[in-house]
Amino acid sequence: MRRNTGDHVLAAIPLAWLAVLFLVPLGFTLVYSFGTAGFGTIELGFSLDNYAQALGPLYLETFVRTVAFAVGSSALCLVFAYPIAYAIARRSGRFKVIAFALILVPYLASLLIRVMSWQILLAQGGPLERMLRATGLLHSPLTILDSLPAVIVGTIAVYLPIAVIALTVVLDRIPSEVIEASQDLGASGAATFWTVIVPLSRPGIATAALLTAVPMLGELVIPVLLGGNKGLFLSQAISSQYVQSQNYALGSAMVVLLVLAIAVVVGLLVRLTRGFDAAGAEGERG
Amino acid sequence: MSTARPGVDSALSRTLTGSVSRRTVLGAAALTPLAAFLAACSSTGSGGSATASAKLTNQLNIYSWPDYFSKDDLAAYAKKYGVTPKISTYTDTNTLFTKLNSAAGAGYDIVVPSSGWIKQIAGKGLLEELDLDRLDLKHLDQSLLNRNYDPGNKYSIPKDWGLLGVVYDPDATGGEIKTWQDFFDAGAKPGVSGRIRMTSAAEETVGPALWMQGKDLNTKKISDIKGTEDFLVGFAKHVKTFSAFDANAMASGAIVMALANQAYARNAILLNPKLKWVVPGPTSELWVDSFSIAKNAPDLERSYQFLEYQLTPKVQVNETVYLGYPASLKGLKSKLPSDVKERDLIFGGPDVDFDKLTTFVVNPDTYPTFQEVQTKVQAAAG
Repeated sequence: MRRNTGDHVLAAIPLAWLAVLFLVPLGFTLVYSFGTAGFGTIELGFSLDNYAQALGPLYLETFVRTVAFAVGSSALCLVFAYPIAYAIARRSGRFKVIAFALILVPYLASLLIRVMSWQILLAQGGPLERMLRATGLLHSPLTILDSLPAVIVGTIAVYLPIAVIALTVVLDRIPSEVIEASQDLGASGAATFWTVIVPLSRPGIATAALLTAVPMLGELVIPVLLGGNKGLFLSQAISSQYVQSQNYALGSAMVVLLVLAIAVVVGLLVRLTRGFDAAGAEGERG
Repeated sequence: MSTARPGVDSALSRTLTGSVSRRTVLGAAALTPLAAFLAACSSTGSGGSATASAKLTNQLNIYSWPDYFSKDDLAAYAKKYGVTPKISTYTDTNTLFTKLNSAAGAGYDIVVPSSGWIKQIAGKGLLEELDLDRLDLKHLDQSLLNRNYDPGNKYSIPKDWGLLGVVYDPDATGGEIKTWQDFFDAGAKPGVSGRIRMTSAAEETVGPALWMQGKDLNTKKISDIKGTEDFLVGFAKHVKTFSAFDANAMASGAIVMALANQAYARNAILLNPKLKWVVPGPTSELWVDSFSIAKNAPDLERSYQFLEYQLTPKVQVNETVYLGYPASLKGLKSKLPSDVKERDLIFGGPDVDFDKLTTFVVNPDTYPTFQEVQTKVQAAAG
């Protein structure tokens, strides 16, 4: 009994933390979203006008655009992260820790600094342009900065370490015997990769997708810094309602819709990853 | 973004790209302002008890734009009065308004709102009414006092000011820009299109279109503001960025025409002397960043003491040299040290007539429409 009480107390601390710092503000946001906005004020009530406005053409288009951006960038991020994670997990031998550290160290720097460095790299007349010109690959000024491609490049770079870590952990745990068995049974390298390694790494893929796509849905800094603040993403639209237009009600409705969208994404991924424990167990057995 | 910051955009863009600080370091790499931003983030307090006291406390909490006071002046103040001001920062006056309007806004002594927001902030009872007997305003430029945004300077005294103008490469635009019509016409030309910088401040996007149509920036008619939307959305495709002004991008030719304030323009011109600056006709905007005292400031005495210090002529000169924005001292130009380059530009050019300029005042009835147009223009540019 006593141990139970202790457990409860221990569990209560993070729960209280979550309640105060997350659920309470979210509750306010939910209540605000049904209110009527003044200029920097809010009249509580029950109106669905904010939702009607948040689902109007401009914001709906923004919503679709943001989701497409998050899904696309997350997928690209995984494509780049997978070979890196594979190399670290299965090919780096005694340099594994060093390789892991090399991926992690940049992640310790502030997001701003990492994005700023991309701004410098991609700038017209910047290091990337000079390099491309020197190698004869480019003959005109580099105009990628302040465009959607620059935003995608920056986003992939910023989120890459998270994806690599999530994938490495899982790839590292695939027992060598499974792979050897596949080879012994005559599977080619490619066949082993696609039918053994990739399926066994699904939990890592799902985790990496989750950890990159969800924050990308709320990405604010990178589009402003690398995209010239053009083309609207949801987070910019929300911040604009709160800070610029002083319309807390509409901003709140947009937040609620975004949170719902994220919940759907998380729900889907959780569903997709269901049964992974069993797959893992199979792996262990093998 | 606030009312009037040609170069100063949405909180983030400024924050992030370098124009974070009003004072743009000449030719410095983008990282200098970044450092300023980081310093700003680790905001040195704002704390302080909210209990009013007639006695001098040992704190002075300032909430201002990043890097908006000369470090030497702050050090001299600290030495003279034994108090090092704690400075927290914001990157646009909208944020100042939002914060003062919430519980998080308690504990500040001095705040530095831009002209456009003073009426709104004061209207919510968030600013202390100033005791003008305690401040010597007679050696300030009188044309900066008693303006539309704060009649009688009840809540604010001018700290420094700026203009909305255009800095451009005449070779690219193929001629001089004299009016807002010229600006928009030039923007559509090949070689200029796609190399334009506008701002994320709604009034600085809508304003030029209104002026071009002969309308007033402070119009009360929603239809006037909405009336600029189609034109501006159509123009959006020519714009490369709405982020913070980057003097290096103008020096490299990545941007050939930009909306900017005179200090940003000066930085670009010092890097690339062939660039030109103009305040286009028929009119443009004058913004005035101002000293105010927050309601329930913990230390009124210290606040007035700091303002008195800031208004002394020597400090006004130092601040101007440091910021690149003119302080409000009368006859300031002739008092600047002789080694200050492009000194006319600090004052927006040789012949700026304040009476012909408009100062934007945020109106809750129309401001959301300004923002709506801005949002659509930025979305259309992507």
